[in-house]
Amino acid sequence: MAQKKTAPVESTPPPIREEFKFGKIDLEVFEQSDLLDSKFERDGLVLHDEPANAYLRRIGLSLVPKGFDLERVSWNFRMLRDPQPNAFALPNGSIYVTTGLIFLIDNESQLAAIIAHEMTHVMRRHTYVQNRSNRKKFLTMNIMAAIGTYAPGGIVGAVITIVTAVAPFILMATVYGYSQDLERDADLKGVDMMISAEYSPEEMVNVIKLLDKDIEGENIRLFYNDHPSLKERIKYLSSYLGARADRMTHQMELNRERAAYFKTMEPVMRHNLQLSIMAGRFRSAVFHAQRLVDFHPDSENLFWLAEAYRTLGPRSSQLTEKELTNSAKKDAAKKRQKRTLEEEEQELLATPAGKDNWQGHQQKAEEFYLRALNAENPVPVVHRGLGMLYEKLGRANDAASEYEKYIELAPTAIDRERIKRRIEALRRT
Amino acid sequence: MKVTNSVVFKLRALILVLATLLPVGFTSHSIHAQFLHPKIKSKETTIRTVVVFHAKVNLVRDSMKGPEGMAAESDELSMRVEKMIAEVFSKQKNVTTLSPPSAPSGQGDSQPNYNVADFQTKFDDLLPKIMKKRSDVKKGRFTMGDEVLNLNLEKSTDAIVFIRGEGKKLTGGKTAFTLLVGGVPAYLRLQIGIVDARNGDVLLYTDPIFTGDPTTAVDRLRKALEKGFKKLPAAQPRP
Repeated sequence: MAQKKTAPVESTPPPIREEFKFGKIDLEVFEQSDLLDSKFERDGLVLHDEPANAYLRRIGLSLVPKGFDLERVSWNFRMLRDPQPNAFALPNGSIYVTTGLIFLIDNESQLAAIIAHEMTHVMRRHTYVQNRSNRKKFLTMNIMAAIGTYAPGGIVGAVITIVTAVAPFILMATVYGYSQDLERDADLKGVDMMISAEYSPEEMVNVIKLLDKDIEGENIRLFYNDHPSLKERIKYLSSYLGARADRMTHQMELNRERAAYFKTMEPVMRHNLQLSIMAGRFRSAVFHAQRLVDFHPDSENLFWLAEAYRTLGPRSSQLTEKELTNSAKKDAAKKRQKRTLEEEEQELLATPAGKDNWQGHQQKAEEFYLRALNAENPVPVVHRGLGMLYEKLGRANDAASEYEKYIELAPTAIDRERIKRRIEALRRT
Repeated sequence: MKVTNSVVFKLRALILVLATLLPVGFTSHSIHAQFLHPKIKSKETTIRTVVVFHAKVNLVRDSMKGPEGMAAESDELSMRVEKMIAEVFSKQKNVTTLSPPSAPSGQGDSQPNYNVADFQTKFDDLLPKIMKKRSDVKKGRFTMGDEVLNLNLEKSTDAIVFIRGEGKKLTGGKTAFTLLVGGVPAYLRLQIGIVDARNGDVLLYTDPIFTGDPTTAVDRLRKALEKGFKKLPAAQPRP
């Protein structure tokens, strides 16, 4: 739980666009938002973790101004199963935060900052405003068609595909970012809302800095694409916060808040690690798994760190400065479109650096798997991980033995058939 | 004049749209390309039973005011494509279609639902790579890995069918405008991948396209699908 301040904070006027009148076009957008909610749910993109959902709901509702009642807005706070850090709001009051974002941020106040920013878009009717404006721009329409056609792969792609199918205009405004003025409005009003709810407003600046972290060298921040530049945001937010310096939170309070945040969100973070590995975001997986191990060392988190290192394989754990230049990122993106992950691994393994990385990461993986076996409440999947590691290292007997232990300890595991086949194949060799 | 990133992005997006859609306008009713894995060609693998995963076909209504989403029509068309593929398989290829793993309703265990969603996502991730070099399906280059076994499909299932697609329907005004000034006509383009249910190999990729209103051109859709699977050998009964 967040350590709230005891001193009452002067409430700022609620950032609501009271004068807004619904037209036919707006009602269509509203209906499309409801459709989107049900599609996200139906397509298995919404994460169901009751404690984490309740936590998210509590934070969200604490930000709603007292006596707030806005036509056709019903607040819902959900997590999307997506390892890419993002958040967006639908005009019907549905706020989506990705598991990737949950993992990236450090404490409840930062999560509140994200939610407050998105809620402002709803309260100020930004989607409707931008939609009305977009409909007059022919070029925008063509861009929307392009977005539908060239959505990226992975879960982010799934979200965009769904939004495109239901409401291209919502996609343009909500997902790809509003105009810079509206984004600035959301940042500043978001700060006001945080203060009213007694959250640390400076965390708005910190979370913006975190969003700039580019572990994978992709820097495709879809939902923040059109936001004002990072430096500009920090500048105007710092200047806005200047007058509120008395409300700065003590570091100790933030640390306590961080511990509470990690404790509540630990299962979501583990789920996100699985999604990251599946999406080939191995560097993010290592980075975040290490954070989880730092927070809760003698636990299942060791297994996840081992998994992250095993799947990282011959890749470097951090991108170099050269790899983080724009041209290098563009080249990498092109290669990602062409090569499969297996092909990328094969190419890297043909280089001395790739071989060194592979060896180092497999050693680390084994070390963490073995530590995970000695951790409190060891999980059977550790044996599966070791089996996969040994199989890759060519230790067929060891691999088969580990797989057998896994099947023995988890006879109803969802992947038992896959593992049984692997055992058969290994025993044949 | 200073060219900003935003302008460059807009121009690129426009070029991409035109590059993708213009060829559709210049073609006859349909185009078909099929790529078969060597194991299918050599009949080392025979497809007798498949599971068709939920199709994701997105339609857009193009009016003079721009594109609008067609969620209900997209869902309807997705179901129609699934059904029609099952019919084509059954009538022409002796292939039986089984129901996909059902997603649980309510607040029960979400894991099976996530599992199916994750496989759909995995195919979405692989699809651009296949589309970049479709002919590599013939070399057996693409696979979704043995994780497909985690789906725990019925033992008799030989393959999983993934369907994606996008289409455009024109309003009356836009149709008239297109006839007078030119432009992209109404069309439907599908991308269909058949994946081995035992090891995840991509066994077949086909991407039928046809021009015409995707919501009403039922016969064109059927013909496009029949032609799209023309090279797939018909299954003989199990020995």
